[in-house]
Amino acid sequence: MNAKNNQCPMQNGNAEILLSYCARSLEAEQVAQIEQHLTACAECRAWAAEQQTVWAAMDAWEAEPVSADFDAALFARIASTEQPSVWQRWTEPVRQFLQGGLGWRPVLSAGALALTLVVALSIENPFRTEPVGQTVKLEAQEIEQAERALEDLEMLRQLEPPEEETSL
Amino acid sequence: MDMMAVATIEHDAELMLRVREGDSQSFALLLAKHRTPVIHFLYRMIQNQAVAEELAQEVFLRVYRSRASYEPTAKFTTWLFRIASHVALNHIRDGKHERNQESLDQESDEGMSRQVASEAPTVEQMMVREAKFEEIRRAIQLLPAKQRAAVLMHKYQEMEYAQIAAALESSESAVKSLLFRAYETLRAKLAHMAGRE
Ligand SMILES: [Zn+2]
Repeated sequence: MNAKNNQCPMQNGNAEILLSYCARSLEAEQVAQIEQHLTACAECRAWAAEQQTVWAAMDAWEAEPVSADFDAALFARIASTEQPSVWQRWTEPVRQFLQGGLGWRPVLSAGALALTLVVALSIENPFRTEPVGQTVKLEAQEIEQAERALEDLEMLRQLEPPEEETSL
Repeated sequence: MDMMAVATIEHDAELMLRVREGDSQSFALLLAKHRTPVIHFLYRMIQNQAVAEELAQEVFLRVYRSRASYEPTAKFTTWLFRIASHVALNHIRDGKHERNQESLDQESDEGMSRQVASEAPTVEQMMVREAKFEEIRRAIQLLPAKQRAAVLMHKYQEMEYAQIAAALESSESAVKSLLFRAYETLRAKLAHMAGRE
């Protein structure tokens, strides 16, 4: 089984296929072709052996162990960066509502706002681990808190007139 | 891109979709699985453990922040290493890398003695291994950043050409030639190690 020159990846400018062969990234058909060629071509055999040497050398480079507090540090960063934005997201409609100077539509709007605030309170910390049952039990308490928050907002609204009016 | 991964949603992508729905436990699972490979990749890219961990924090912070827009269009690891490569290449491009090089030798010495101590080799074996380690580290450090990223993903993360291409936002053929050139350089520097030790 003699290898013709045009079948040699080293000589026909297709040495990349040898790398793929060494990395076991070829289809079975191509593997068979290369292996057949390798039996006849010393140059390609030497190349493949060298590639294995490079990988064996690289195996000797072990990475360092990871710091034990990596996860804790990440969760702390997430908690510190996420909370304000979650809070802003949920209070934004309230802020806009107040600045819009629309006036209170007691039943409908207050109900919607209470719901918004309950959701905001229950997701204030995405990394708080807490069984579902507990969340349900807390709901009544949270609605109470939301009502109190609404009262505070109402007070604020009375103290600070809507922006549009003051800026004129 | 990776059609198999798209056809059947893999476990990691499923977890990420749950993170999108606000499930922080799924994020903790993803972190537990992928933190070490990502940190090791960044460590070998930057060759400074403290900086690698700092960059890894940035990577996972980005993963968490992009949860809302996450779509499982590629394998999760491909997406993850796309972020990791981006963070590493930006870090190197911004020249922050150079400052770290000063403390590099000291730190790698510490890392090496820790690694070697646990295996209790003879003094001679230790010296051979130290020299070998140093040679590999330097050879990889001298590769252009993108070649380095490709080689590290190929060798240590065992990623396919298509995955590396997606991670580096290149074509598959570009990655093949990138890898080929990188290995040619490493071959010239490391092939003499055959039969040593
Ligand atoms: Zn040949």
